[in-house]
Amino acid sequence: MDPQLTSQIVPIEEVKVIEECLVRLAEDTGGNYVLLLDKSGQVITAQGDAARQDITALGALIAGTFASSREVAKLLREKDFRQLFTQGVRENIFIALIEDQWILCIIFNKGTHIGLVKVLTKKATDDLSVVLERVREQQKARDDVLGSSFRTSMEDTIDLLFRD
Amino acid sequence: MALINVAAREIHCKIVYYGPGMSGKTSNLQYIHNQVPKEAKGELLSIATETERTLFFDFLPLDLGKVRGFQTRFHLYTVPGQVLYERTRVAVLNGADGVVFVADSQRHKLEENIRSLRELAVNITKQNKKFQEFPVVLQYNKRDVPGALPTATLDKYLNTLGWQRYEATATNGSGVFDTLKAISKLVISKL
Repeated sequence: MDPQLTSQIVPIEEVKVIEECLVRLAEDTGGNYVLLLDKSGQVITAQGDAARQDITALGALIAGTFASSREVAKLLREKDFRQLFTQGVRENIFIALIEDQWILCIIFNKGTHIGLVKVLTKKATDDLSVVLERVREQQKARDDVLGSSFRTSMEDTIDLLFRD
Repeated sequence: MALINVAAREIHCKIVYYGPGMSGKTSNLQYIHNQVPKEAKGELLSIATETERTLFFDFLPLDLGKVRGFQTRFHLYTVPGQVLYERTRVAVLNGADGVVFVADSQRHKLEENIRSLRELAVNITKQNKKFQEFPVVLQYNKRDVPGALPTATLDKYLNTLGWQRYEATATNGSGVFDTLKAISKLVISKL
């Protein structure tokens, strides 16, 4: 199989480490919501206001913004923009890139100072880089998840659902 | 790259509808959004201009429910087709697991189709992926238009890699689900 098409599998123990990191970041900054996304826009995990229903769309849009900024960077002959800050009337969003794979996003209100968010996000991205490195290295779980019976069940579901 | 979250027992895959401007990429998503049962779909999100041309992307999350204990989700995106938005297409393609290339069957669109397909190959290669091995399904859309090019002609110019291809009229839904089924299965087979 082409290694470039290999799926990324985030094991249970790593998800726990990630969640602890996001909770710490939310608590230490007083942020309302913290998200970890894959660069394709998929939400790996989210912490904060449980009532949020829109995180799938939020993930797609934030990843789109980031991917778009990467193209802007290229035009400016920058390697990439590692951080983005969006200021709103009530809430602000700070987004940071982890290696070239994950995106950490924190939503916070006027009660939190951007300087604090920047410093603590930097620490969190360093910690998450280590997790990402471990996730990239681990391969063994795939066969446990994606056996041939999974693929057959998946095809049946696709046939059942995707029809006129 | 598909994402498998073992703790949350979720699998996410990203499928991008690519092709020249006005070839019917958004129409594909609109039809799917209308037909799929409510519990299996999210909102169709469109970032479009006032004249309803796609500016950034359309986004439709589909939830296939639990398969062998794993919540499985397909995220469908379209790119803006107009030549002007080349860099935007690169951004949307980021991390895609598979592509549906929506070609316009009208005779005067052949060159645009070829150019768009070439651009897709370049953009996939830029992501360090081998285009020949990348999951692609071809859709010849607008088969209902009088004077549509014969499929043999389209095959000759567009399907040199021998992909699965489907004839479609996205506005009335013909061929839309055949295409979606084909790309979904192809992506799953490469997980």
